[in-house]
Amino acid sequence: MELIVGGAFQGQLDYAKRLFPMVKWTDGAVCSKEELCSCEGVFGFQEYIRRTMREGRDVMGLTDLLIRKNPDILIVSEEVGYGVVPVDPFDRSYREAVGRVCTGLAAYAKRVHRVICGVGTVIKDD
Amino acid sequence: MFTVVTGGSGSGKSAFAENLVVKEKDGRRIYIATMFPYDQESDKRIERHRRMRRGKNFETVECYTGLKNLEIPRESCVLLECMSNLVANEMFMENGAGEYTVEAVCEGIQNLRRNCAHLCVVTNEIFSEAATYEGDTRRYQEYLGQINRRMVEMADQAVEVVYGIPLWFKKGRDEERRAD
Repeated sequence: MELIVGGAFQGQLDYAKRLFPMVKWTDGAVCSKEELCSCEGVFGFQEYIRRTMREGRDVMGLTDLLIRKNPDILIVSEEVGYGVVPVDPFDRSYREAVGRVCTGLAAYAKRVHRVICGVGTVIKDD
Repeated sequence: MFTVVTGGSGSGKSAFAENLVVKEKDGRRIYIATMFPYDQESDKRIERHRRMRRGKNFETVECYTGLKNLEIPRESCVLLECMSNLVANEMFMENGAGEYTVEAVCEGIQNLRRNCAHLCVVTNEIFSEAATYEGDTRRYQEYLGQINRRMVEMADQAVEVVYGIPLWFKKGRDEERRAD
């Protein structure tokens, strides 16, 4: 597993595509759970989390699910936890859930990349 | 040793800070809790943090405002969490420091530093997003931003935690030694 994170519009997907040119990518905003569990790479992973929560389903099990079902997946996700605490309770819990799920995935991932202005830095390399 | 630990929401900064303090063997461990339990959501947060600290031998001291008047055992290891709550309390609570929040909090930090052996403060990154704010929220960002800058200036070392991964941006002697 590898995790590629960064703020909005920082070019994490382009960076990932350069690094892994052969990988087929799935969109987290529209993919099913089955697709997520079988794909080579997912981008917009934070949107998958948001959708799951909107549907009232649990997301905290997502870390274990991916480690079990798709341990070699590449995950591109947006960092959403660097702003003022949102007024809306859903936004608050969404923001925190992205953090907790990605912290769990980062602990398992072999490498974690952080992209700023299109430039990636490897912040974990086991 | 004075360490500042920062990071976004759900970044794992608390767990990281706790482990950092637990590694220090000498002295009593004091946890300064700053979150005021004003609703169910904060009760749940407080309970989650209590569970995380269980078995780590922390004595919990609550401090919502007036950090500079807080007395702690000399030579103890202190973990203060979280600066973002303390600043909000000072700004918005009736007995808070209001417009003098930055001075009051910085004095409080200096007081702690003078008296304890190890100090670790957890703070929060709330400064990078598309939304803009006015009035109290804008001032809150300004005050917390100033306090973070002053703390890191005073600190021996400072770290940003990204999804549980420490990125040191000010290195103390220990970190330099580890990197060599």
